[in-house]
Amino acid sequence: MIKFIKSSEKKKILAVLGEQYGLSSLSYLLIEGGRKKLRAFSGSLSKEEILGLGNLTNIELIGMYIISRRDQDLRINFDALSIPEIKNQISKNIIKISKQQLELWMRGHDLEIKCERGPVVLQFQDDFVGIGKSNTEKIFNYVPKERKLKTPLPIS
Amino acid sequence: MKKTFKYQMKPAFEERMKSLIPDKDDFAQFEKIIHQEPLSFIRCNTIKISPCELLKKLNRKSWQVKQPYPNFPEVMLIESDLLPGELGNALEHQLGYYYIQEVSSMLPPIALNPQPEELILDLMASPGSKTTQIAAKMQNKGTVVANDLKIQRIKILVSNLERCGVTNTIISRKDAIALCSKLANLNYTKFDKILVDAPCSGEGTLRSSPKTFIIWNHKITKSLSRQQKKFIAFALKCLKKSGVLVYSTCTHAPEENEEVIDFALRNFPVKIETLALPLKCRPGITKWKDKTFHQDVKKTCRIYPQDNDSEGFFVAKLRLLEETK
Repeated sequence: MIKFIKSSEKKKILAVLGEQYGLSSLSYLLIEGGRKKLRAFSGSLSKEEILGLGNLTNIELIGMYIISRRDQDLRINFDALSIPEIKNQISKNIIKISKQQLELWMRGHDLEIKCERGPVVLQFQDDFVGIGKSNTEKIFNYVPKERKLKTPLPIS
Repeated sequence: MKKTFKYQMKPAFEERMKSLIPDKDDFAQFEKIIHQEPLSFIRCNTIKISPCELLKKLNRKSWQVKQPYPNFPEVMLIESDLLPGELGNALEHQLGYYYIQEVSSMLPPIALNPQPEELILDLMASPGSKTTQIAAKMQNKGTVVANDLKIQRIKILVSNLERCGVTNTIISRKDAIALCSKLANLNYTKFDKILVDAPCSGEGTLRSSPKTFIIWNHKITKSLSRQQKKFIAFALKCLKKSGVLVYSTCTHAPEENEEVIDFALRNFPVKIETLALPLKCRPGITKWKDKTFHQDVKKTCRIYPQDNDSEGFFVAKLRLLEETK
């Protein structure tokens, strides 16, 4: 069952994204993707055409997973952070990290950084490298397993 | 430094390849190169980053990167000797800035020439190298229906599409023939373009998959050929008038290449179009064993590893002259 997000709900989502990350627009059709995930579709097929296709084949997924809903927070998916439409809008709760911190972060370690409680976007140079959540004492790591670097930490 | 492998061609395979490459020096070059590891190519994912920006990032890592094809700046050759797995474990890869893809495998989407706003069917889409390339060319507009059959293959496809930030794709899981049959019978919107990157015997992938030397078996080409003809026949039913179907394989076997295109030319209202690809192509053959193919199969494109220091490939571009049922 494909569940399209209504425009009234999209507005609410966008309001939270604006508050947490500074996003003001999302040009995508949003779809409920299961496991509290929201997917974004930028394709040209209408809702009716998508549903029609769903009657002919097993639609596994539509578009891309961009947001997960956790409690009161919305987390932007690791892969979506580097899509220009999203990347260029992120302006809030950005924490810049060093090369050394990046090496730890991309291997799944939490970072001992003090900052305000809540979701944060980690930035290394001009790249966003994932969302974390701060408890004011440290930032918990949400880099998905398959995006973590598998090589051992470089010797400093 | 190029590594070499110890595997040898099976006698029957060697004999077939000698028929396809009759010139002795040419064959010697083929034999030499198929025992060497392939070059390290990547494709810049222009959905997320421009080739120029990626180049700067890779140069900062002290990687030596060349862009060998001026009209295709997204195609990059990594000339540095990297550690095993380094290419797939780099931050830029995890961020979806590039896709590790052998250059000959980039040819089918180049031949397809996807445009934004088109409706495109990628019939056997996993692992997603060509789907991501198509979506990038479409600037994430239009729609790609990316189909595959097995859930394990779909998972790999999803992971690659998400890493590359592809948002214009619908992933379908169905047998390719059943899907085309349903789409055609129930009069679903016809596609502007279809890619049939068919399952094949993989003779062109000896450099990256040396196990092909061992598992190669000439009997399989006949059954694959029958299946590939079905794929093309059913796919054509889902194509718009004047729509384009690109058929490709990673094998040299004429049964799976020219014979399939010959079948399409003789049974469907299609014409074959000449390809302009960035690699050296040899024309399709018109005679193989006791079979003579349509003269137009010369317009298909055979990629031999010794011509381009690449893998082997086959690409053909068909245009549908009138809709079929």
